[in-house]
Amino acid sequence: MSLGDDFVEDDEMNMSDEDGAASDSEAESLSDSDNEITEKLTEPTKTAVYNRDGLLDKLQDISWPEDVEWTHKLTVEIDQGQEAVDVNDDLAREMAFYTQALEGTRQVFGKLQEMGLPFLRPADYYAEMVKSDTHMEKVKSKLLYEKKQMEETEERRKARDNKKMAKEVQSQKMKERAKQKKDEIESVKKWRKQRQKSGFSEKGAGELDLEFGNGKSFQRGGGGGGGKKRPGVSPGDRSGGKGKSASRMNNKKREFRDSKFGHGGRKGLSKQNTAETTNDFKGGFRGSKAGGSNKRQKR
Amino acid sequence: MGKKRKHSETEAAAPVKNDDSAPERPKRTLLGWKDKKEDAEETKAASVFRNKEKVLVTCSRRISFRYRHLMLNIVSLLPHCKKDSKVEAKSSKGETLNELVELKGSSSCLFFECRKHKDLYMWMVKSPSGPSVKFLVNAVHTMEELKLTGNHLKGSRPLLTFSSNFDKDVHWKLLKEMLTQVFGIPKEHRKSKPYHDHVFAFSIVDDHIWFRNYQISVPHNEADKVARGGLDKMTLVEVGPRFCLNPIKIFGSSFGGPTLYENPFYVSPNQIRALEKRNKAGKFAKKIKAKTRRKMHELSNPLEPDEFVDMWKDDE
Repeated sequence: MSLGDDFVEDDEMNMSDEDGAASDSEAESLSDSDNEITEKLTEPTKTAVYNRDGLLDKLQDISWPEDVEWTHKLTVEIDQGQEAVDVNDDLAREMAFYTQALEGTRQVFGKLQEMGLPFLRPADYYAEMVKSDTHMEKVKSKLLYEKKQMEETEERRKARDNKKMAKEVQSQKMKERAKQKKDEIESVKKWRKQRQKSGFSEKGAGELDLEFGNGKSFQRGGGGGGGKKRPGVSPGDRSGGKGKSASRMNNKKREFRDSKFGHGGRKGLSKQNTAETTNDFKGGFRGSKAGGSNKRQKR
Repeated sequence: MGKKRKHSETEAAAPVKNDDSAPERPKRTLLGWKDKKEDAEETKAASVFRNKEKVLVTCSRRISFRYRHLMLNIVSLLPHCKKDSKVEAKSSKGETLNELVELKGSSSCLFFECRKHKDLYMWMVKSPSGPSVKFLVNAVHTMEELKLTGNHLKGSRPLLTFSSNFDKDVHWKLLKEMLTQVFGIPKEHRKSKPYHDHVFAFSIVDDHIWFRNYQISVPHNEADKVARGGLDKMTLVEVGPRFCLNPIKIFGSSFGGPTLYENPFYVSPNQIRALEKRNKAGKFAKKIKAKTRRKMHELSNPLEPDEFVDMWKDDE
């Protein structure tokens, strides 16, 4: 259980309790006794009342008779161990309480088991719980949320690492390919030279089969070329082609400006004829908006 | 509502002593009631012990939300308590509260008093003539906090664990007894549930009583036996609420009476706040004083003229 930030209040309230009025007098002086607020108050109240006999009397008064069965009381005392737990250390303190409760429960369960009384809730016993179901739903969703956050950060970290690794691996591969290509070209050159030297005879042909590999190199070159298709640009289109990847960024700007100032019209098509305007001899500019619809169809 | 038979069902091997039948009717004679078999009767009467604890839980008027929730949490933890409406703060609160306790027929009382909307004091009082304790409550965390994830049956009897420091001194012993009686649910209380699935932990650290409430989760198949090796696999989940009690005074009778014990280490929160303010004021005064002191010192010990003062004067 995370004892985190919620419990900061703990410390503050606790510390302020142990204030010493003894430090009162020092506040006046110029000495740098820096706010001994954690000092316990031992000096001024030596006059505190402590009526031990009275306390014992009252204790006798209120306690239950001696032979009362333990099952009425259900108490157990746990020895805390020698080291005094530091109050301000949250984790240690909570651990101490936890171990005390755990120890106690173990002892009690041992006793109860010996007595033979049922003390554990069976799985089918449904009754009102001290926190409502809706509240437990909230608790569950919070726990799930926290778990999800942790998992996401883990994933992100892994993805980042993987990316790094992948990048390294890829660069290695690229290097290898380049090297292989170079090697192959070198081998072709060598083969040519050899052939030249040996005067284009047929003898040396057999030796060099290995160097060409499996024809993979051709395949790769060919395949690589056909991998990326250029977006189709029809020859008659003088508008500059369909969206290039570079112009995608300016598209948003363009769209925004179009919506504000109106679509400007395609480049260089303003004086070309469409089907309707071919036979239109009156001529004249009928207004930009009307012309705009033409242009769209011309596309 | 049907008669609850839960308790009789769960008491599988009920020892004879818990057979809460009233002692046999004494024989009526001319001289008065005469008990048959007096000796046997006495021992039997002594052994039939019924915990008839009833706690009255109230608060003062100007209580803030956090402390009110704490009070409600405690009400839900103790089925043998009765919550009452807010009590007017000022006039003679001891007497009015005593009357209230008498009226409701409770044997003890937990009174939450919130001062200045900041400090919570808790009175734990045994009626009618019992001792009463006034605590300052710190470090309150209610059950509604989402970090406290446990849950248990409402009204199931808790196991009470005390740290061994409670036996070190008389006043701790008295407090331990009072805590046992107030926080321990009576055995066959009609609103109590049968199984034990949570545990209270009271510890004394730094002269404060810390309270924790944990849910017990242990793997088991039957209701009266832990699974083998289960005791080692037991885990506790905190249910809440959490608070820390600082005993201020113990009085001889309810809400007053002779002071039996005063905590020598207790400083009231008002004093703490006053001290802090004074310190802050002190800071400014100190600064002024330091300034004047520095000035005087400088005046009285003038520096020697520096050799290098004229070094750059000619360049300009």
